[in-house]
Amino acid sequence: MGNAKPHGILRNCLKILLMAMAGISAAAQAAVVVIVSAKSPVTSITAEQTARIFLGKTTSFPDDGEALPIDLTEGNAARNEFYSKVIHKNPSQLAAYWAKVIFTGIGRPPIELASNEAVRKAVAKNPHAIGYIDKRDVNRSVRVILEP
Amino acid sequence: MTKAYYIIVVLGIFAGIANADAAGTDQPMFIFGGFGSMGISHSSMGSGDYVPDSSIPSGPGRTAAWSTTNDTRIAGNVAAQFTPKISALLQIDSEYHSGNTYRPEVEWAHVKYAFTPEASLRVGRLALPTFMEAENRDIGYTYAWIHPPVEVYRQEPITNSDGFDVTYRSQTGEWGNSIKALYGGAKHESNALPTPSDLTSRNLWGIFDTVEYGATTIHAAFQQRETDSGYLLTGQGETQVTDKDLSAGVQYDPGDWFMMSEWILRESTYKTSAMYVSGGYRIKKFTPYLTYAQNSLGSFLPGSPPPSQNALTLANREQSTISLGMRWDFMRNTDLKLQFDQVKLSANSNGYLENVPANVTLFGSTFHVISAVVDFIF
Repeated sequence: MGNAKPHGILRNCLKILLMAMAGISAAAQAAVVVIVSAKSPVTSITAEQTARIFLGKTTSFPDDGEALPIDLTEGNAARNEFYSKVIHKNPSQLAAYWAKVIFTGIGRPPIELASNEAVRKAVAKNPHAIGYIDKRDVNRSVRVILEP
Repeated sequence: MTKAYYIIVVLGIFAGIANADAAGTDQPMFIFGGFGSMGISHSSMGSGDYVPDSSIPSGPGRTAAWSTTNDTRIAGNVAAQFTPKISALLQIDSEYHSGNTYRPEVEWAHVKYAFTPEASLRVGRLALPTFMEAENRDIGYTYAWIHPPVEVYRQEPITNSDGFDVTYRSQTGEWGNSIKALYGGAKHESNALPTPSDLTSRNLWGIFDTVEYGATTIHAAFQQRETDSGYLLTGQGETQVTDKDLSAGVQYDPGDWFMMSEWILRESTYKTSAMYVSGGYRIKKFTPYLTYAQNSLGSFLPGSPPPSQNALTLANREQSTISLGMRWDFMRNTDLKLQFDQVKLSANSNGYLENVPANVTLFGSTFHVISAVVDFIF
């Protein structure tokens, strides 16, 4: 009986430690989600298809509807996470990619908005739009189609 | 001929401006930008100049032990989107070329009309996508190397064509495909001859295809053109020679590392081939890379006129290079690269060295090139 208590304390300490670690990693890494308007018929998309849209390699969703990507400006945590998790490019790889595309006249980068909220609002309004935001900023005006 | 294309481009731009109000996009109509590189290189071979491109008249080696001319350039670029269907591009490039000047030249000027998001037509001065990095070969910031592998990229000296092309993009599931057909002509200066010459190419046409699946890109191309290099190759009057290129490449780039390889088979009065394989690993802001490149001895086609001395020299440029380098993305939109090349000339070849004095043979020599470059985009 007597030695049950220290174990209990240890277990609680461990629990607190794990919760704290989970909390830290959640704060350090915003959970980014890919969204479309609640009015859009699109219900899911793969990371590869999302990458093709954001890199301007296609202008349509896999089921043929027009796709208009809306980006976040540099400096947003969700942007860094999106580009590293979904597009697999760091900022200089991305700059190199767009230098090639713009300077060869193939295309141009997506429109950029300054905040998660601005992206959510723009996406909610346009049934063709696709964006990504921090999961915490999702509301009923948009639909999450990919949680990378 | 060229003038006519500029007129078409200018008319297209005005047509675009006239329709500009119809654009209805949130995107700016014009994107102004540019790119450049400042490079310095040294070659241990004092009997000839090491140049990565035949349009560069001199480089490190015989002309100077250290030279800034190989990898130094600046370019300005305007991309315009007049309406969702009409766009245009103008690029002015200043780099070292014949006449020993940096006189700016129009690298590209074209108007694009998109019939649908998938199908488009471009008219004007267009890039020739012979290789995977052909269109962006001047934009050092877009790749890891100091410059694309010399043995392969020197096989096709023409980088643009005055004419038109048609592109069709499609996607099936996670596969993307882009196919392009091009027709036009070109004039380019070559210093890879005893006297610098302007070579004219007519009836230039090609088919170029790029397939993408995930991190894999495959490129295949065929192009041919009629050139007036006949005299130089055969010594027999105004002979037209048909140049044919068959090229293919594959690249795998999942993000943290890359691997790529390209091959070309080339035929004029002689047949030759070249290949390279290159790989690199990205560790935060550093990208060390290793490249091996080689080109083969040209073999003259049966039935072609007896080769002139020039033709023998041009066909006989077999060499191989091992390059070890590092790209450092030390600042936003700016990189610094260092590269060490070990070039080995084959037994009967002066390789791609230029300005080698007549009757000097460097056959079988090995030499080193050290290069440093800062690339930037703006």
